[in-house]
Amino acid sequence: MVELIGVNKQFGEFVAVDDVNLQVGSGEFLTLLGPSGCGKTTLLRMISGFETPTRGTVWLDGRDVTALPPYRRDVNQVFQSYALFPHLNVRDNIAFGLRMKRTPKADVQQRVARMVEMVGLSGMENRRPNQLSGGQRQRVALARALVCEPKVLLLDEPLAALDAKLRRAMQVELKRLQQRVGITFVFVTHDQDEALVMSDRIAVINRGHIEQIGPVSEIYHRPATRFVADFLGQANLLPARVVQRETFETELMVADEIRERIPSSRLPDGASTAFLAFRPEKVRLVPDVAKPDDRSACEPNSFITTIAEELFRGATDQLLLRTPKGTELTAVVPNGSATVLAMHRGDRVLCHLHPDDLIVLNAGQ
Amino acid sequence: MNDQQLADRHFARRSRQVSRRSFNAGILAPVVGAALLPLGCRRSIRSGSASEPLNLLAWSEYVPPAVIDGFTKETGIKVSYATYSSNEEMLSKLLAGGTKYDLIQPSEYTVEALVRQSKLAPLNFDRIPNLANIAPDMLHLPYDPEQKYSVPYMSGTVGIVVNTHKVAKPVRGYRGVFRPEHRGRIVVVDDPREMVSWAMNTLGLNINEVTPQALERVKPVLANWIPLIQAFNSDSPKTPLIDGDVDLGVVFSGDAAICYQQDRKFQYVLPEEGAHRFIDNLCVPTGAPHQATAEQFINYILRPDVSRLISDKFPYTNPNLAARKLLTADQLANPASYPPTAGKLETFRDIGAMSSEVDKMVTDLRVKYGR
Amino acid sequence: MTPMPTATGLTTAGRPPGVAGWALMAPLATWLGLFVAAPLVILLAYSFCQRDALGQVVPAFSTHNYARVFDVVYLRILGSSIFYAGLTTILCGIVGYPVAYYMGRAPPRRQSRLLMLVMIPFWASFLIRTYAWMTILKENGLLNGLLYAARIIPDVLSGPMHLMYTPFAVVLGLVYSYLPFMILPIYGSVERLDGSLIEAAADLGAGPLRTFGRVILPLTWPGIAAGAMLVFVPSIGMFAVTDLMGGNRVLMVGNVIQNQFQGAGRDKPFGAALGVTLMALFAVSYLLAARSRRDRTR
Repeated sequence: MVELIGVNKQFGEFVAVDDVNLQVGSGEFLTLLGPSGCGKTTLLRMISGFETPTRGTVWLDGRDVTALPPYRRDVNQVFQSYALFPHLNVRDNIAFGLRMKRTPKADVQQRVARMVEMVGLSGMENRRPNQLSGGQRQRVALARALVCEPKVLLLDEPLAALDAKLRRAMQVELKRLQQRVGITFVFVTHDQDEALVMSDRIAVINRGHIEQIGPVSEIYHRPATRFVADFLGQANLLPARVVQRETFETELMVADEIRERIPSSRLPDGASTAFLAFRPEKVRLVPDVAKPDDRSACEPNSFITTIAEELFRGATDQLLLRTPKGTELTAVVPNGSATVLAMHRGDRVLCHLHPDDLIVLNAGQ
Repeated sequence: MNDQQLADRHFARRSRQVSRRSFNAGILAPVVGAALLPLGCRRSIRSGSASEPLNLLAWSEYVPPAVIDGFTKETGIKVSYATYSSNEEMLSKLLAGGTKYDLIQPSEYTVEALVRQSKLAPLNFDRIPNLANIAPDMLHLPYDPEQKYSVPYMSGTVGIVVNTHKVAKPVRGYRGVFRPEHRGRIVVVDDPREMVSWAMNTLGLNINEVTPQALERVKPVLANWIPLIQAFNSDSPKTPLIDGDVDLGVVFSGDAAICYQQDRKFQYVLPEEGAHRFIDNLCVPTGAPHQATAEQFINYILRPDVSRLISDKFPYTNPNLAARKLLTADQLANPASYPPTAGKLETFRDIGAMSSEVDKMVTDLRVKYGR
Repeated sequence: MTPMPTATGLTTAGRPPGVAGWALMAPLATWLGLFVAAPLVILLAYSFCQRDALGQVVPAFSTHNYARVFDVVYLRILGSSIFYAGLTTILCGIVGYPVAYYMGRAPPRRQSRLLMLVMIPFWASFLIRTYAWMTILKENGLLNGLLYAARIIPDVLSGPMHLMYTPFAVVLGLVYSYLPFMILPIYGSVERLDGSLIEAAADLGAGPLRTFGRVILPLTWPGIAAGAMLVFVPSIGMFAVTDLMGGNRVLMVGNVIQNQFQGAGRDKPFGAALGVTLMALFAVSYLLAARSRRDRTR
């Protein structure tokens, strides 16, 4: 549905988007995820037409639209600040796009009414934007874009201005809406939770290029780079060096103190160093009762740590662990689980990392 | 020409005439100003002494600084010079109370009006021996028949300036100016009383017998003339002539003299139908705190060497015969300052409340027939 | 629409100002009383008086002045004043809007520089600037000289252009004088205009023209209205430009009023009546405009 080929955008010396190729399928919910200033919004604006690529082409539904102005493109955008017309009421805001397309009056009325109902704004048609709450404005912005039945809907951090609770509710609502109308969504956010909840696929953007693109679970479980692992979800990231490489198994020394054995196939040929990443929830903890030194030495993939900090996170507890040599790790355990009850700040615990939960990243990445 | 010179030229008030200008760009300014006049500052003025300044209320750009400085140098008396741009403005300032002026400079018909209202003090001519320098035909005129209240300062006429490079046909009077072929090429002084007097002279009426019946006859004449006029300008009617924006003017002789000095193509013609001769005077208002000093100043002004300075700067007709002897041949040969042939000249008399009717009629006509 | 009580509406308006409030307002109140209210009262009083032969105000009650104001002749002057002031306002809008828009959408650094450029003419006196125009427009002036040098005169035009002392010169002078008063408020509203609204309009299929008509214009309308007020009101009373550049041929009500106070008219009561009428006219039209604005938002 949307295709960017070799797209590059420079503002003066600054390269905002660096040679990006991207395809978005019909009916797909794709999220462009990245920190602020990474170029994700510029990428979106090149699809909507507010920016013209310095190089490369933009295709919409099999048509090269690179040179078309925004008002000739069959896409609509939901703006971060909603950009509702303050001088028009809800009904006229929603009808704006249809009127610009010279849709027959009766048709406009009918479609606007349907859209108002769909986003749950019945009875507020005559209100001006400044008489609406943030969530209601959000719905008007959505309705205003969706009523045009665009081929692609572009959303630029549309939930950023909402409070946390409303944001979570809108995430679900937006996802359902997208599934119902079947329109392709391209969604820009810097919020990884949002991306995880809503997307079919995620493209992680960093410094103007796509670090990794793929289905949500793949991005989460198999991040391709340290940046992705770090940015998406929480991750412990530790340097490792190869101690002994055998045919099936390789022994690594992690952070100069933890021995880990992993399948050799996970490590690129000839690599002598790597980074290991693992999610906090993958760290398995057992209260330690034995003497410190002999344990860590004898059991592979296990090591002793001390609980340095305990953070209550609602549904989970987050533990900050410190190894004898001072390496810090984060672990997350369900709140109220028996193990947690037995472990407190200052206690020594035995950590276990299963090789399957370890993500091995090239040292260079 | 730079802006400053331009501005100087425009503001040099060689004319003694009525001006409607004060360049406040707003309607409220004059209104508020006028409204506050009764609240105007009250300066306490003690009895006259040599150390106190002489309060002169005179036309702007009509008394050369050299003259005022000379007086201070000789007597040690400072002169404070307040200005006005029209007889009406002067009346306003004089009658408002506030500052008490010692010396004013009204034109002939305003002298008459002031005398009628007992607003002028009789002069002590023992202190003004230099009056002998004034031409006898400038004295004992109808506005001050006994020569009790006024001393002539400068005199002039209102006549026609023709740019002879543009207008080939000789022009002898108002009828020659206000012709359809001159539409859009005429400047006139912006003064209803003047305009009415031209029409009355053209009709053969006495310009001082302004009656409702006379105005009825004047009306159609002005209705024909007004559409032909390009500019009404009392401040500097010479400007459009010199700028080439018009070719004919009915203007003050001082302006005409300057046009002539600039280029001999500008000829001054005294209208054959008759013209207004104006005389600006020095007078002392009643209740002036320093009447003796004022008379001393008048006598000083009448000295030939002083009076000549005024003529150098403002080339009107100097009534001071002794001063005229000191003028150059060129100055005396300027036909606008000293017309070679005596035309049919007449001064204005005070017409009292009729002046309001005159203004109203001319305003009406200009709205109706102007543009 | 149900009016929403706003925070300001509830607190500030409903609360009495208190001692400190009154103290803070005292200088302004005194100023207004002395220099606005008192002169207005005097003006109103004058307008019912008469004049004597020397032009002094005589306190004898008369409604004659108002009868004269509503004479056809003076209504016509009022009409032509409104016409020229209206034309000036419209031209200022047409010329000023693009400038103000460009300024308002420029990067902040350039904005302040452009703002400076708009203000620079105020450094020179209004009179000097008007005389500068006269040197340009006069028949022996710069413009005709240029046209002559460019051989447009006499090759294309048979003779020099007669521009001075025409309605054209008056309107030019008025537009020139009041253009900044149109530009500044429009600039203010353009600068406040959220750029994403323009993008939203384009996104929804509105081309540049319709974006302007449907979004930009309605949203910058307060600036235009303020500018129009700032241009129209002083234009209608302007007399310096009509005098200098129009040769006093194009009469406006400002000239007539001024003539009554400082000129040969010498009829202050009549001038006061004209002034009062003009102010009443402004007040009424302002109230009507305010009411229609209130009705629109309902």
